[in-house]
Amino acid sequence: MVSGKKMMSLTELKDNQTGIIITILGGEKAAKRLADLGLTPGTEITVTGRTFFSGPVRIDVFGSKLVLGKGLASKIMVKIK
Amino acid sequence: MNGENKINIVLAGQGNSGKSTVFNYLTGLHQHIGNWSGKTIEKLEGTLFYKGYTIDVLDLPGIYSLSTYSVEEKISREYILSQKPDFVVNIIDSTNLERNLIFTLQLLELECPIILVLNMVDLAKKKGVTIDSHKLQDILDLPVLRTVASRGFGLTDLIDKAIELKGKETRHVPPRYGKEIESSISELSLSLRDTDLPYPERWTAIKLLEKDGEITGKIRVKKPEVLVKTDQLRIKLEEIHGHDSSVVIADERSHLASRITREIVNILPHRKLSLNDRLDAITTHKITGYLFMFLILGGMFLTVFSFGNWLSGRLEMIFVNWHDWWILNVGVSFVAALGWAAIESVLALIQIAFPYILPFYIILYFLEDWGYIARISFLMDHIMHKMGIHGKGCISFIIGFGCNVPGCLSCRIMETRRERFITAVLVTLVPCSAVSVIIFGLVGKYVGLWWALGLYVFAMVLILLLGKLSSKLVPGEPVELIMPMPDYKTPHLRTILAQTWEALKEFVFIAAPIVIISGVLIQAINLAGWMPAISSLLSPVTVTWLGLPAMTGILLIFGILRKELILVMLAAYLGTTNFADALTSQQMITLAVVSMFYIPCVATISVLWKDYGWKKALAISIIEILFAIILGGLVNRLLDLVFKQ
Repeated sequence: MVSGKKMMSLTELKDNQTGIIITILGGEKAAKRLADLGLTPGTEITVTGRTFFSGPVRIDVFGSKLVLGKGLASKIMVKIK
Repeated sequence: MNGENKINIVLAGQGNSGKSTVFNYLTGLHQHIGNWSGKTIEKLEGTLFYKGYTIDVLDLPGIYSLSTYSVEEKISREYILSQKPDFVVNIIDSTNLERNLIFTLQLLELECPIILVLNMVDLAKKKGVTIDSHKLQDILDLPVLRTVASRGFGLTDLIDKAIELKGKETRHVPPRYGKEIESSISELSLSLRDTDLPYPERWTAIKLLEKDGEITGKIRVKKPEVLVKTDQLRIKLEEIHGHDSSVVIADERSHLASRITREIVNILPHRKLSLNDRLDAITTHKITGYLFMFLILGGMFLTVFSFGNWLSGRLEMIFVNWHDWWILNVGVSFVAALGWAAIESVLALIQIAFPYILPFYIILYFLEDWGYIARISFLMDHIMHKMGIHGKGCISFIIGFGCNVPGCLSCRIMETRRERFITAVLVTLVPCSAVSVIIFGLVGKYVGLWWALGLYVFAMVLILLLGKLSSKLVPGEPVELIMPMPDYKTPHLRTILAQTWEALKEFVFIAAPIVIISGVLIQAINLAGWMPAISSLLSPVTVTWLGLPAMTGILLIFGILRKELILVMLAAYLGTTNFADALTSQQMITLAVVSMFYIPCVATISVLWKDYGWKKALAISIIEILFAIILGGLVNRLLDLVFKQ
């Protein structure tokens, strides 16, 4: 817990770091799309990898693996667990 | 045959749930591929005869939700609501239960008869996940079955279940959400009572609260005052929850799915990393992931081209005497020549396209079934994004290197029409195997291998730039990549072969008619003796601007049929395959550049026509001709600096 409990974007999490979704920025469309996949506020989310040049982010949500484009991932605000 | 012995079921589920494996197992060879009317989405139907029953199975597209985010979702929803199949079989990936259950809840809202299938229970068990299917059955109040579709386990139970339940009242209770939402839903349902929409009231109410464009539009026509009420209720919901009402409902579903999952799932403490986990780590790693990708794709192209060359040569030996036979038995009249042109077009399709497309599809579907394709999308998402499309578009490009026809067809995996169209246009610029024949047969052989490879790099850079441009020109917003990363699994041969077979059939059906017609047409022009006139007509472009011999005009016209004809006809025209006799290095490079880009071949045009309409297909063809001519002329002038000091 070095950085305290401040809110940050999912893309700022390091690999293998887990956060809890606080809110989803941007339009309702993105939020709804993510909710359809189980990504809602309160959900635990672990970043498991990414590609070069801050490409897409790989995440784990309840043992289910997803890939999110960078723009979308940066809209997900999390708190480090 | 009476109606009682007929059952129709639809398979619905998310991607990677094993839906197509179930479909192939049930219907075997009794399937046919079609299109959803007016849409570019494949419609897979099949029939199963079992215990005196005729069971029609429809495979809905793999989707992640029943909103109207993509065309597939709209189609699926509309089909279930309007066609009212006997059963919706919801195939669930047991290794991703929670996410799949969100979809199940959406299906339940449609108030259709559902049979739930927990597929891949073996893989879930391997991951230490056990699911209490009886409890799930009780909670959701619907039949739940366990299957391992890849081994056929549990699939006869599924059909037996459908037969057993046929004709019985199987309406399920739609899921219940939070208190405020429920009161809004019931209030809205009440005011929907006398609108004679063919949809369940509760579902319509939910969709209104979710601001579903289609349903809102329909209600606006039928009973606009309901929309005023909807707005009031939505504002109330938003005040309570602090989110948009559409998000509130999606959140509710997600939470409910999560609660159900917690009740029925037992996860063993994490065991040591499996082989597949380690493979996953290597193949998506920042460095080794790319190395692995280059190895796999390199190996794929090598296999495709060496197998293709071998089979193509074999087929050529078979077909070699057919022309003589035709002349001998049918004669040499104008009509006979046209008849031969038609046959030759089909033979060429078999001899040139088929040997490359067959291994291509097999390897591609192998990689897909194994789970690797998603890794490529992940690794390539960043660079694809620069072209205004996301990682999945990369797959179409890879296929395009083999043949542009399946490349363009595969653009259907993109979510929106905008994405699809941009990807398809860019794919037509990817040098396919026929163009590779020109590049290597002409430039690679007579100018130098580095020049040939340089042309590939040139094509890539050009595609990147044009992608960037088109993403700005084509209206609409780019879609972000949202993709589940499937676990690696043992590829299933039967599924791979079935998919390859369907893809080949589609290729032939789309490509054959137009290839035959244009083959006959060009032969007619040729026999009428108009070709010299045409080539002199084109000479301002070919000779003056491009610096090529006048006869290349004819070659480029034949090249529209199949690009490698440019080289074949050139050899026929010269009476030798030593092209250096007739063309300078500079001319070869210019000709190769023009051939690469000047028009998609007719088979590709026919796909564009089918999927995007004739206007767009024509526009793309004309734009690409102009583009290639301008580009070729510029290249010619640039090469002046290199070859003429």
